[in-house]
Amino acid sequence: MPLNIDWQQILLHLLNFVILFAGLWLLLYKPVRKFMHERRERYEKTDAEAEKKLAEAEQTRAEYEKKLSAADAEIEEKRAAARREMDGYEAMRKQAAQEEADAILASAREHAAREKTRAVEEARGEIVGLVTEAAEKIATKSASEAYDAFLAAADEQTPKDGEDA
Amino acid sequence: MTKKQTILFLSIVLAVCALLIVGIVLTNGQYESSSTIQESMQDAVLHEEDKISLFGLPVNPGLISAYLVTGVILLFAAIVRIFVIPRFKTVPGKFQLVLEQAVGMFDNMASANSPHRNNFLGAYIFAAAAYIFVGTLFELFGIPWVSAAGESVTLPAPLSDINGAIALGCLSYLVILAGGIASNRMRGLGRTLKEFSLPISMSFRLFGALLSGLLVSELVYSYLALSFVLPVVVGLLFTVLHALVQAYVLATLTALIYGEVCEPYVRKNKVRSNKIKTTDTEVTL
Repeated sequence: MPLNIDWQQILLHLLNFVILFAGLWLLLYKPVRKFMHERRERYEKTDAEAEKKLAEAEQTRAEYEKKLSAADAEIEEKRAAARREMDGYEAMRKQAAQEEADAILASAREHAAREKTRAVEEARGEIVGLVTEAAEKIATKSASEAYDAFLAAADEQTPKDGEDA
Repeated sequence: MTKKQTILFLSIVLAVCALLIVGIVLTNGQYESSSTIQESMQDAVLHEEDKISLFGLPVNPGLISAYLVTGVILLFAAIVRIFVIPRFKTVPGKFQLVLEQAVGMFDNMASANSPHRNNFLGAYIFAAAAYIFVGTLFELFGIPWVSAAGESVTLPAPLSDINGAIALGCLSYLVILAGGIASNRMRGLGRTLKEFSLPISMSFRLFGALLSGLLVSELVYSYLALSFVLPVVVGLLFTVLHALVQAYVLATLTALIYGEVCEPYVRKNKVRSNKIKTTDTEVTL
C-alpha cells in the first residue's frame, strides 16, 4: 500500500481507541458527568424550593397586608361608632344636666319667692305690731314722743327686713 | 530574591551551561547517525525500516505509542475513579475543577452542536480529544524503544503514524454515520454519505499536522548548531499547540457534523405562489 498504509495496523489502532473510549467513558466521563448533573439537579431543586417558598411568603404577606388594611378600616369604623356613641351620650348627659339645672333653678326661684313672701308677711306682721305698740304709746305719751319712738323703732327694723328679703 | 541569591542562581546556571557545552563538544562524533537526514525523514513518514515487534507482528512505532498512551490515560482514569471521584465535593477543589471543566467542556460542545442526540457524542469527542492531546504531548518525552532490527527508536506521537490518523478519522466518520442512521434512518445515511470526503480530510489533517511537528523536530535535532534554545520554541509550537489545536479541531468538526446529520427532518410546506396573470388589456394600459 502507498504511504505504508496497513489495514491490520489500522484495525489495531481502532481496537486501541475503542478500548480507550470505553475505559474513559466508564471510568471518567460518566461518573464526573453524573456528579455534575446530580449537583445541578440539587441546586435547581433548591432554587425551585426557594422560589416556591418566596412565592408563598409573598402570598402570605399580601394576605396579611390585606387583613391589616381591613383591620384598619374596621378599627376606624369602630372608632367612629364609639365617637358617635360618646357624642350621643355626652349630649344626653348635657341635656340631663341642663334639665337638672333648670329644675334646681326653678326650685330655687320658687323657694326664694316663698321666702320673700314669708319675709314680707313677717315684716308686715312686725310693722303691724310696731304700729299697735306705737298707738299704745301715743295713747300714753305725747304725740311727738310717740312719733319719735315710732321712727326709732322703724329705723331699727328696716335692715332686718332687707336681710330677710 | 536578594542580590546574593540572584548571583548564586546565575552562577549555577552558567556553570551548568558550561558543563553541558563541554560535554557536547567532547561527545560530538561519538554517536554518528547511521542514516542521513533524508533517510530519517522518509522513515519518519513511512516507517518502513524501524518496525517494532508486537507479539511477533512487525508494527510501526506509532502503534506502540498508541498503546502506551492508552495505558497511561486509562491508568490515570482508574486512579481518578478510585481515589478522587468518590471524594468529590459540592464546592470543587482545584483538581476536581479541572476534571469538571474538561468533561463539562465536551459535554456542552456536544449538546450545543447536537441538541437532539448527544450522550454518546460527548463521550466520544472527550475520548478523542484526550487521546490526541496526550498522544501529541507523548512525543515530548522521547521514550526509547528497541526496533525489530535491534536499533534504538524514539517513540513518536501515535497520530504521526498514518494508520493511527486514518483509524481515528474513519472512526469519527463511522460515529457520525451511526448517529445519522440512529436519528434519521435513511435520510441520516444520505446526509452522512454526502460528506464522503470527511474521513480522508480528518485523517490527513491529523496526520499532516502531527507529522509536520515530527519532521521539524527531526530537522532541528539533526544539526548540533540548532540544538540549543530552538528545540524549546519548536517543541512548544509543534507539540503543545498542536496538541491543543488538533484535539479541539477534531472534536469540533465531529460534533458539528454529527449535529447536522442528527437534526430531525422538518417537512417544508410548499407555498403556492399565486401569480397574477396579466391580461392583454392590462399590458396595453
